[in-house]
Amino acid sequence: MNALEVAKATLESVEGEAEAVAHVEHSGLARFAGSEVHQPTLIENAMVTLRVVQDNRLGVATTNKIDTAGLAELARRASDAAASAPPDETFPGLAPPASAPAVAGFDDETAALGPDDQARLAATAIDAGGDVPVYGFFTSALSELAVMSTTGLSVHQRMTDATALVVAADEKGSGYAEQTAWRAKSVDPAEVARESAEKAKRTRGAAEIESGVYRAVLEPYAFADLLDYFSHDSFGALGLLEERSYFTNRLGQKVFDEKISITDDALDPHGLPKAFDFEGTPKRAVRLVEQGVARGVVWDRATAARVGDGAESTGHAPPAELRDWGPLPSALSILPGSAESVDELAELVGDGLYITRLHYLGVLHPREGLITGMTRDGTFRIRDGKIAEPLVNLRFTVAVPDFLREVFGLTNKAALVNSQNFYGERYPYGVMAPAIASARFPVTGVGSKPGI
Amino acid sequence: MHDVCAAAVDAATAAGAQYADARVVLKRNQFVATKNGHVERLSDSESEGIGVRVLVNGAWGFAADRRLCADGARDAALRACTFARAAPGKHSRQLAPITPVSGTHRTPVERDPFEVPLAEKVAQCLEADEAMAGREILVRQAMVRAQREHKLLLTSEGTEVEQELIECGAGIECAAARDGVFQMRSYPSAQIGSSCQSGWEYVEGLDLAGEAPRVAEQAAALVRADECPNGTTTLVLDADQVALQVHESVGHPTELDRVYGTEASYAGTSFLKPDDLGSLRYGSEQMNITADPTTPGGLGSFGFDDEGVSAERTPVVEAGLLTGFLTSRETAARIGAGNGGSMRADGWNRMPLVRMTNLHLEPGEGTLADLLADVDEGVYMETNRSWSIDDKRLNFQFGTQIAWEIKRGKLGRMLRDATYTGITPQFWGSLDAVAGRDSWRLYGLTNCGKGQPGQSAHVSHGAAPARFRGVQVGVRL
Repeated sequence: MNALEVAKATLESVEGEAEAVAHVEHSGLARFAGSEVHQPTLIENAMVTLRVVQDNRLGVATTNKIDTAGLAELARRASDAAASAPPDETFPGLAPPASAPAVAGFDDETAALGPDDQARLAATAIDAGGDVPVYGFFTSALSELAVMSTTGLSVHQRMTDATALVVAADEKGSGYAEQTAWRAKSVDPAEVARESAEKAKRTRGAAEIESGVYRAVLEPYAFADLLDYFSHDSFGALGLLEERSYFTNRLGQKVFDEKISITDDALDPHGLPKAFDFEGTPKRAVRLVEQGVARGVVWDRATAARVGDGAESTGHAPPAELRDWGPLPSALSILPGSAESVDELAELVGDGLYITRLHYLGVLHPREGLITGMTRDGTFRIRDGKIAEPLVNLRFTVAVPDFLREVFGLTNKAALVNSQNFYGERYPYGVMAPAIASARFPVTGVGSKPGI
Repeated sequence: MHDVCAAAVDAATAAGAQYADARVVLKRNQFVATKNGHVERLSDSESEGIGVRVLVNGAWGFAADRRLCADGARDAALRACTFARAAPGKHSRQLAPITPVSGTHRTPVERDPFEVPLAEKVAQCLEADEAMAGREILVRQAMVRAQREHKLLLTSEGTEVEQELIECGAGIECAAARDGVFQMRSYPSAQIGSSCQSGWEYVEGLDLAGEAPRVAEQAAALVRADECPNGTTTLVLDADQVALQVHESVGHPTELDRVYGTEASYAGTSFLKPDDLGSLRYGSEQMNITADPTTPGGLGSFGFDDEGVSAERTPVVEAGLLTGFLTSRETAARIGAGNGGSMRADGWNRMPLVRMTNLHLEPGEGTLADLLADVDEGVYMETNRSWSIDDKRLNFQFGTQIAWEIKRGKLGRMLRDATYTGITPQFWGSLDAVAGRDSWRLYGLTNCGKGQPGQSAHVSHGAAPARFRGVQVGVRL
């Protein structure tokens, strides 16, 4: 059964007001280490989540037993859950029928890739790593999402995605690169491996530096990761309502450098397009930051109803198991700048740091956007406007608003950086980010040298 | 379950696999969460399927299918073999030999959590939620959870083990804000509470509603507290934060797959090398770390791991010396010691990885008060708020929800936004006291991430308050 058929069968198994969200996955991931595939994983699954509404009492149940008996049991459990809940007078109701916008994001050739193809494309990366051992994966998937409800809502999307990710590393150095797209032909595993291996060779002989505030160039991988973490508290309506967001009491104010404009645009064909959210509400592009001015956050039906006053869902309801996070962006896009290359950004920085990738970020203070983490797989000094000697991995503790307050420039091209890590059900999303040069990147310590 | 697994193993070996194992897993979860007096989440989820792992010509293959029938099992087995045959590499993977076992294991419970009515769970959350209400408390949250995992593992070597693992968990958290200062406080642990392999008696014993007023009072006080000053000083950590310190800076670096680099592309590697075993000084003489999947209540407890290796308690650090790694059959064969025992998978559709089971800092002597009494000036920190550590598990920085200054052996003023940082062996080398058995507690966390595709493991750590000298606190520029 496809996702729409699963959702339809689920709704037929239950009486009364209800919503079914079906999520189907056919995926393969060829993971390699030391230039050898060591963890190849193939997944075939179909999950369905049923939300039952009984006099404003809500109950949710999930299963992957999608035969008649399994769906009947699902309906019983969801109904039991609803009967156990007190009425929720703030519940805005299930989403009304809507036409999902036509989006890109599905490719027949990508959908048809099987284990032989996924292994072959992993081999392409391994071979291109040359004399530097490579660690990473090639993955591709076909996934489907369908939302149907008793309001008459019925939306369905088929999605494909592919990612090649490579850490090239030996005892002396390490580099990193990745490419993600909804069309596998847009991903070049060999190019990813070459970029990573070339970077690894340049990190040999890494030196330490003193703690302090440095100017810095962040590659798209690093910038995307930093912004993604910042967005969890600051770009969602629930964070705003609970005063975790940096945007609390700042909407309409200039908060960042005027070179910074950020949207959440799941409709962009250059990203990983999505037509609707997990309530079936059509996706809208949302202006979050416009020329440095805080403009808005993303909403789902619950948060919009909570504030009233004309607020509407922007199509950002997360899956049921993440509903307590509230609406979250999943297609962040930073407007590129005018710099032709990262070398031009290095010239703008003059004296500072060049950072490829971040690792293990942690939010120290959501309201201040204060985040700590480490650099990894390609950290360099910038001297006299040139990318210079390699550095060890650095600990940073950066307030993202400070980082974005004085921006020297951004590259004129953005890269799509995968943000999912493939936990749970397959739902690919990422951040479209250019490289950025900022005046303020606080380094608070040094860590290990690059390399395996 | 047996017939489905047997169909998979037979199909794999007929297709040329030199080794095959099949795991059927049936998992059910219930989760109730309330926020500010409303039910935020009330869900009952289940998932089932089969995961088939094969070795063909020395190469691994793994395929998972939700269909629990002979066709689904055979399809998964053949796809796993196809993937293994296609996998590039030299492939000479070996498994440490084990004697095939048959057996069963079940978490002992007094009150089956799935027999507890959902309405009772909702009422428990709402009672605790309401008990946190107060001026300046902006967000109140309570949650309870339960999980049952029923699984059967069958291998081509003749192992057949069936297990039922039951978990319960609960927690409360509140946030306060005043004049732009935002602070949070939780109980009994950070993030989404703490969990235990147990029946519902664990949740009842936590007394969420009874602890709620204290939690709210401390959150409200924190928005008025002074910021933790920076400097190098004596640091005393509560058992909860020690548990996370053990997890991040001892548990992960001693996973032997990380040491060999097979996790390099995601979670990272380790500062340890295979030949550090028996010679590397990890910490002070007060540091004793044990991996113990037999710990009653531990989230990492089992009768057999997901390769069918029987649970066994093993030392990892003894009097500060590295004496053990966490291993799989493959990594054990590679290092030439042991036979694995730490392989765990996050459900039916993920390949087993080397994971922590229950990793404990063994207790020392005395109480928290005794630890504080020997501090002229320092900081006492309680309950994790943030964590970050580098890819080799050397440089770490942690933040806690609350802290107090220590003056002449006593707790003084409350401090907010407390952080500390260090380098793993130096930090553990500065350990000069661990409180005793009476202060030792088991903490269970459910969000340990690793692997591609990602897997979340449930692990426990036993710990007591501990004291470290000369630690950098209040990290900020």
